[in-house]
Amino acid sequence: MSAGKVAASDEGELPPEPTGFWRRWVFSLDHKVIGRQFLFLGLAFLAVGGLMAMLIRWQLASPGVPVPVVGKLLFGPSGGVISPVAYTALFTMHGTIMIFFAVTPILIGGFGNFCLPLLVGARDMAFPRLNMASFWTMFAATAVLTASFFVPLGPPEAGWTAYATLSTAIGAPGPGQTLWVVAIYLNGASSVMGAVNYITTVLRLRAPGMTYLRLPLTVWGFFLTSILNALFVPVLAAAMVLLFFDRVLGTQFFVAGTTPGAGGDPILYQHLFWLFGHPEVYILILPAWGIVGDLLAFFARKPVFGYRVTVGALVGVVVLSCVVYGHHMFTTGMSPLLGESFMLLTMIISVPTSLIVLSWLGTVWRGAIRFPTPMLFCLGLVFTFGVGGLTGLYLADITADLYLHDTYFVVGHFHLIMAAALLMSLFAATYFWFPKMFGRMMNEPLGKLHFWLTFVPLNVVFFGMLAIGYQGMQRRLYDPSVYDFLKPLLPWNRAVSHAAYLLGAAQLVFVVNFFWSLARGPRAAANPWEVGTLEWTVPSPPPHHNFDRIPIVVRGPHELGHPAARALGRDWLSQTELEGDTPPPRAPTEEPA
Amino acid sequence: MHIELPRDASLDGHLVDGAIGYLTLTTGIVFALALVFLLAALLFHRARAGRTWGRHAHGNRARDRVLMFSVALVMFVAIDVTLALRTTRDLEGRFWRYPDADPAAVRVEVTARQWAWSFRTAGPDGRFGTPDDVVTLNELDIPVGRPIYLKLRALDVVHSLYLPSFRTKIDAIPGATTRAWFQATAPGRFELGCAQHCGVNHYKMRGIVVARAADDYRDWLGRAEADSRLRYDPAASAAAGGWDWETGK
Repeated sequence: MSAGKVAASDEGELPPEPTGFWRRWVFSLDHKVIGRQFLFLGLAFLAVGGLMAMLIRWQLASPGVPVPVVGKLLFGPSGGVISPVAYTALFTMHGTIMIFFAVTPILIGGFGNFCLPLLVGARDMAFPRLNMASFWTMFAATAVLTASFFVPLGPPEAGWTAYATLSTAIGAPGPGQTLWVVAIYLNGASSVMGAVNYITTVLRLRAPGMTYLRLPLTVWGFFLTSILNALFVPVLAAAMVLLFFDRVLGTQFFVAGTTPGAGGDPILYQHLFWLFGHPEVYILILPAWGIVGDLLAFFARKPVFGYRVTVGALVGVVVLSCVVYGHHMFTTGMSPLLGESFMLLTMIISVPTSLIVLSWLGTVWRGAIRFPTPMLFCLGLVFTFGVGGLTGLYLADITADLYLHDTYFVVGHFHLIMAAALLMSLFAATYFWFPKMFGRMMNEPLGKLHFWLTFVPLNVVFFGMLAIGYQGMQRRLYDPSVYDFLKPLLPWNRAVSHAAYLLGAAQLVFVVNFFWSLARGPRAAANPWEVGTLEWTVPSPPPHHNFDRIPIVVRGPHELGHPAARALGRDWLSQTELEGDTPPPRAPTEEPA
Repeated sequence: MHIELPRDASLDGHLVDGAIGYLTLTTGIVFALALVFLLAALLFHRARAGRTWGRHAHGNRARDRVLMFSVALVMFVAIDVTLALRTTRDLEGRFWRYPDADPAAVRVEVTARQWAWSFRTAGPDGRFGTPDDVVTLNELDIPVGRPIYLKLRALDVVHSLYLPSFRTKIDAIPGATTRAWFQATAPGRFELGCAQHCGVNHYKMRGIVVARAADDYRDWLGRAEADSRLRYDPAASAAAGGWDWETGK
């Protein structure tokens, strides 16, 4: 960091850094190591889930044609052709892996862990042991999920939503589905441990002067996400426990129909699932919004436009997200009053959401915008989230939903949010924090190439899905050509698949860049992006205890283009620098020269 | 590769298409405006020689907030409120106003199972579970110009009856009875399908709606009833599916 007096408080002696291999890299209590563990675990599953998407697209583009290269290996008994059973397992596991085992660990486990203590000015999470337990519980969940591929009667096939009674013994008698239930339960346990930790860290471990309205939006995102996780993941856990009882102990919470004596209610499962499932969308998108809000300001060299309104809007979304889940169930024959209430509540979410988007637009307006790779991905998110958000209105509207429900329009819509926008935020976060995480810079030309090779096909894929759904194709069809009215859609499906292959192949650019930079990238300075949040005041990578002295925060996170910075020959002020127009909140201890 | 909705052969399908069209128009305008604004900022306010310094404005002044809230509220009223009013009118006036009291309505009991649909129409006596019931498998025969009132059940897992050319969809749920209605405006053969993943052969759960003009339908029903009477077996009536229409038992 360049010249400038810095406020910091004195602390006692710090416990020493562990030196043994196991304590340091495997069973580490350090949030930075645990964050990286989550990141690598999530990236591995992102690759697996992505390859499954390629196989799904292969079947939709070339139904009945043997899969090239890997077909004989994966689908040997059917001669390399994806069978209906395999296809069903593929879309079930693709959804499950991407949501619970890729995006969740990368975004919340990885970046949440790495960023939160650094960004609030803490030396670690509030509960480091709970943090470690959270990772190893997630690891156990992935082991159980992986085991479900290799059991008699095959992997789970009830879709990632696992609707009862398809997910009970009636529709899925094999142990694969039971293992799925256990894996989701363990995954949820991991999330709740993380949530408790994150909430406590933000509440209790903010550095002196780090008021709530000086928190970076990234922290707000993770904080609010953790609140939703703590409230709603237990609801999912309850559904999993009941489903487990139905499957293993012979209870009938969700079983009805012709099964003798069955008096359960399959719709109860849907209520429980979506009571969690809709907040889950916001659980994942809130950190992305936070990250993008910060990064747009950083690279537009301007403060966030309407920071307080944005924070209010984020809180508003959190509150509303608790009362809209019924829009997933408009076709279950719910009572008209209930349906119309859910429709209206869902639509009200568009008010805080549009405030957030307006804040993004206001932030870049009249900036001095720089376009490094993280900024490109942020702008990609603005675009894809825009389309994804607006197409949500079609599904909130019950009349339009009568036709569009359970079609590819839904698939396109939620992929624009959960896949496109979230991938954009994951890549933005990776390119942005990589220097801080690993002490090396990623390659910029490769990063930009990666962006364009991702952004263009990604939009072809998900716009194509919207178009296919608009024309009536249902979700989860092994072979759409069974329907005459869907036969003309084969060229559409081919186009989407070809774009998807390109999208998948383009990720090799990222893999190469990631590992090459890890080994050979140029050493990163403490503050390569020239921004003022706390993580950039310490070396890259940060020392074991993050801050030798706990910083004292004197201003907000986005003081870019600050007039007082001119004297320092730059356009930004750190959150800890005393210069500027904001008086420090308490008497600071001067840094000794 | 043109893009179009499936053929609409229903009385109220235009309401669905209208809502979709309204949404495409309004959200398209909003998205285009936002995109133009964004691209203008990226083009004119990019860092370059002579523009190295962003404007130090937090957007926290009263006029900034008035601006943000005004834009958000205008969009909310123009799109969401307008749409919600329109949809509430359509739901309460049409889609959710079931033809319980309409003597012209054709009542059909739909039973979904892995992986087939059975449709049971009450014969001339208007009651289910009698020798003149007509039961068809994966084929729903209906007259043009009369409301078709469906009640649905599922025997095993959740299914969803999807009628793309009639712009409606309703789940069939084990242990519950759901309902929907529509009216065909043109004779013809239209596909029906399952929209809810119901197992490995979900994709094969396809059927046909055969819409006939009034005379044709009467002829078909006469033949079908005669056939039903011939095959009727009181001991096996439960096997044909169906339940008491009014009580749902």
